[in-house]
Amino acid sequence: MAHVHLEDGAISPIWVLLWWAVAAALIAFALYTLRHERTSVKRLTVGAMCATVGVAAFMVTIPFFGGLHLNLTPLIGILAGPAIGSLSVLVINLFSAAVGHGGWGVIGVNVVMNLVEVMIGYYAYRSLRVSLRAGRFTSGFSAATLALVASAIIVVIVIAVAGIQDSHLDEDETARNLVFIAAANVVAGVIEGFVTAYIVVFIGRVKPDLLEEVEIRRGEANMSVPAAAR
Amino acid sequence: MSGRTYTKHMPDVRMIAQYAERGTSVVHSINPWTKAFVLILVVALVTVVTDLAALLAIYALTVAFYVLARLPVSLLIGWYAIPILFVVTLVIMFVFTEPGDEIVGFELGSRRVAVTDNGLLLMAKLVVRALAVVTFSLATFMTIRYKQVVYIACKTMPAAMATMFLLTYRFLFVATDELTNILDTIHSRNGSLVKGIARQTRMFGGIFSHAFVHAFDRAERISKAMESRGFDGEFPVAERVPGPGAKGFVAVSILTVILAVAVIDRYLGVKGW
Repeated sequence: MAHVHLEDGAISPIWVLLWWAVAAALIAFALYTLRHERTSVKRLTVGAMCATVGVAAFMVTIPFFGGLHLNLTPLIGILAGPAIGSLSVLVINLFSAAVGHGGWGVIGVNVVMNLVEVMIGYYAYRSLRVSLRAGRFTSGFSAATLALVASAIIVVIVIAVAGIQDSHLDEDETARNLVFIAAANVVAGVIEGFVTAYIVVFIGRVKPDLLEEVEIRRGEANMSVPAAAR
Repeated sequence: MSGRTYTKHMPDVRMIAQYAERGTSVVHSINPWTKAFVLILVVALVTVVTDLAALLAIYALTVAFYVLARLPVSLLIGWYAIPILFVVTLVIMFVFTEPGDEIVGFELGSRRVAVTDNGLLLMAKLVVRALAVVTFSLATFMTIRYKQVVYIACKTMPAAMATMFLLTYRFLFVATDELTNILDTIHSRNGSLVKGIARQTRMFGGIFSHAFVHAFDRAERISKAMESRGFDGEFPVAERVPGPGAKGFVAVSILTVILAVAVIDRYLGVKGW
């Protein structure tokens, strides 16, 4: 598997509540931002479509290392932006929990991990494309890989600090036990980085308006055709 | 449209909808609010309870609930693969490193690698917890009709969130068909024979590219159609779901008391309560 989805009972109730609070605060901030921007039906529809493809992607197993599935969260960040992308990952996690692809109680921590991927995906891609004028393939690959590698490392830190419920190991021992998972996730992140790069290049060719929002420079927005996702 | 799923390890959304809309079991007739509250309490219980016997009892009750709903047990076993895989990948190393009595072991160079009783117990608890929640969650979602989901989502989520959630639910049917069709096309052209990381990565990049572009095209069409019919971001609620009845209230109350006892036992019991 490319990504760790914690199941219910993996972390203790205190940590469950703490991560729910962090996730709720981040989602509330995203909702506040959207209300400020006066969310259009189109933006919500685009966010829902991103969430839909994110959930449907679980059906597809890529035959590497016994099979892995893609997150597509950095790509969702690039296409939908951080605010709508945040809502999309929450919806993905709700549907995933409904079918056992991650737990209900740990939606908080799973959402925070995905939000990290969305944010890094969006801002890294934007920085590379707009500031450094890098190509779409390079930007897509770098942004997605960076987001997923960072997420893989943060997952280990989060679990090591919270501890696996009922385990008697300390933080260091827990972290050592999770190195294998982190390594597997880093490899999977690089593979997803390439897939994301191909997708971004393809979308840039056939539907470049989807990338306008993330690729356009501040101040140029009014001089251009409105982005599809706006 | 092929209308079928590509994996045996995830429930098909059409199947979930079919059981939810057409089912006539006792569980289908239970108030959706009651089932939603009980789901929350089951999640809380398996998170708080640490005794394996108690966890097994909770799991047995969730399976009984699932069977009572007349849902397919054989498919449920296939759907268990993903949660079990998640748990095993997370704690496989703990089976060997958790302090406890050795069950079986061997020498690996200068180090001894051994499966411990506490390591196995840890994995067993996490698997049982995950399966209990998955079973009850599936039983809940396969027995609540779409109109009821709409009402509950609109009542419990902010408007933008509820709209996105409900649109995603509706879009899932076409998106899974879209992906399935692309995969069918690739397999029919011997795409499954493609070997090598570079070529396969490019192939799957193409699969998801098409899925995204088609999805966005559809999103644009749908949003225009919805706006032209007066949709302003508030999802229309066609059916009101009344609150839990007396029996539902009693069931939720009993479970809440059990949860409270479990919390007291866990956090205050050792201090002499």
